[in-house]
Amino acid sequence: MKKIQGSYITGNVTILVKGNMPELFFQKCVKRGIPVWEIKKQGKMECSGKIRLHDIKDIKRIRRETNYKITFIEKSGTPFLFKRLTRRKEIVLGLLISIILIIFLSNIIWEVKITNVSKDIEKKIVKQLNNYGVHPGAWSLSLEPTSVIQQKLVKDIPELLWVGVDKKGTTYFLEGVEKSIVKEKEVHGPRNLVATKKGVIKNMYVSKGLSKVKVNDYVEPGDILVSGKIDSIGDSDKKKKEGKSKFVASEGEVIAETWYKTKVTVPLEANFELLTGEKEKKYSLKFGDFKIPIWGFGKSEFKNIHKELNENPIHFFKWTLPIHFVETTLSEKTYNKVKRTKEEAIKIGIKQAKSELLLRLQSDAKIISEKILQETTENGKVKLILYITVEEDITKAEPINQGD
Amino acid sequence: MKSLHQRIGPWLTKYLALPSDVILELPRITMIGQIHVYIENHQGLVTYSETELKLKTKKGFIQILGSSFVLKTMLPEEILLEGTITEVKFLPG
Repeated sequence: MKKIQGSYITGNVTILVKGNMPELFFQKCVKRGIPVWEIKKQGKMECSGKIRLHDIKDIKRIRRETNYKITFIEKSGTPFLFKRLTRRKEIVLGLLISIILIIFLSNIIWEVKITNVSKDIEKKIVKQLNNYGVHPGAWSLSLEPTSVIQQKLVKDIPELLWVGVDKKGTTYFLEGVEKSIVKEKEVHGPRNLVATKKGVIKNMYVSKGLSKVKVNDYVEPGDILVSGKIDSIGDSDKKKKEGKSKFVASEGEVIAETWYKTKVTVPLEANFELLTGEKEKKYSLKFGDFKIPIWGFGKSEFKNIHKELNENPIHFFKWTLPIHFVETTLSEKTYNKVKRTKEEAIKIGIKQAKSELLLRLQSDAKIISEKILQETTENGKVKLILYITVEEDITKAEPINQGD
Repeated sequence: MKSLHQRIGPWLTKYLALPSDVILELPRITMIGQIHVYIENHQGLVTYSETELKLKTKKGFIQILGSSFVLKTMLPEEILLEGTITEVKFLPG
């Protein structure tokens, strides 16, 4: 009985045996160890019975030895069910397409929600996101991870202090915090303008207050440049009374020449990597640690490769499948070696020093001239000590303490 | 030797209470009312039709008569017959 049980899974066939004394055919089968069941005599010369699918080979061999005619009447079991299913290609195809469609739609961005920011900045964010490829209808598999988008947004939109990017299913939630640009608290009370650095004054423009220095004067940090305390001239002739002097919030700009000493070292030989711009993209699916390439086969022709990986999980409805879509960008790079002459190295050094200095100074600072104080060549490096002259505004407001 | 074996068989079943179908190589026939017959230890099928089943045994044949017979299972030395059984006969070989 055990042999017959479960025959639905492995499949069974009903055969019809025709010939003289057909039941003897089954007797032969049984003798060979082939189980037969549901044997029915259909007529005098006909007899039907069921056998297992994988016994058909043996049945055919037995038939060859005898002269019975065998026809297959009925097939049942899962193997035939599968066969029938695959024969209806439309259904299988439809099923496959629908699954692919669902996976496809589950991996598309449907909505980008931006909260907590003003309309103005929201527009800017949307514009930037469009640049990154994050917009409704975009294919989310090849997008950068949210943390990268977050960093980029903060970098590209200066008004944003922080932005949280969260991906939930097919929706991107963005929550922004704006920088409330607080204007530097102006000292409204009476104040002086003092120097922040030492320098020689080149230009002065005072709109309010009394200037205490002249052009070409040398000032030290802390020196009062423009005073907010004005003594009325009329009164000064008479006996000075302290209460008579007027206090104003002085305003103005004092441009002075300042000096900076900087050190730079420039190697005479430099190695650097350069991307040639040649790119290759490869796509693959990752199951755990196992990767299956789906696009971009073969080895790259590039000699030196800079590799960038971008991994995104595939979603099915709200679930994350344990399958990752991996986009690999291979960029060709070249190793370059540069030998500089001393003159070139010095030029580069000066340029470097200037740009470094400008980063440290206010935006209105201007470099006037530079001088090389010292120049040494050691271990294939040129060391420079530079003296740079800059013109910049050196004023700083300082309230006058009236001693109330 | 054969005659000795044949003589020992019944003795074994009688005194040691061993199952007779095994020792004597006789068919064991189990019937459930009129509808099922289960025959073990037979030597092969001789005739089968809707109304008759004839099986060979060591000493002759077993003939089962009835109507609407279906062989539910057929394994070596085992047969399960379904239908309406009217007679079970032992025919000498």
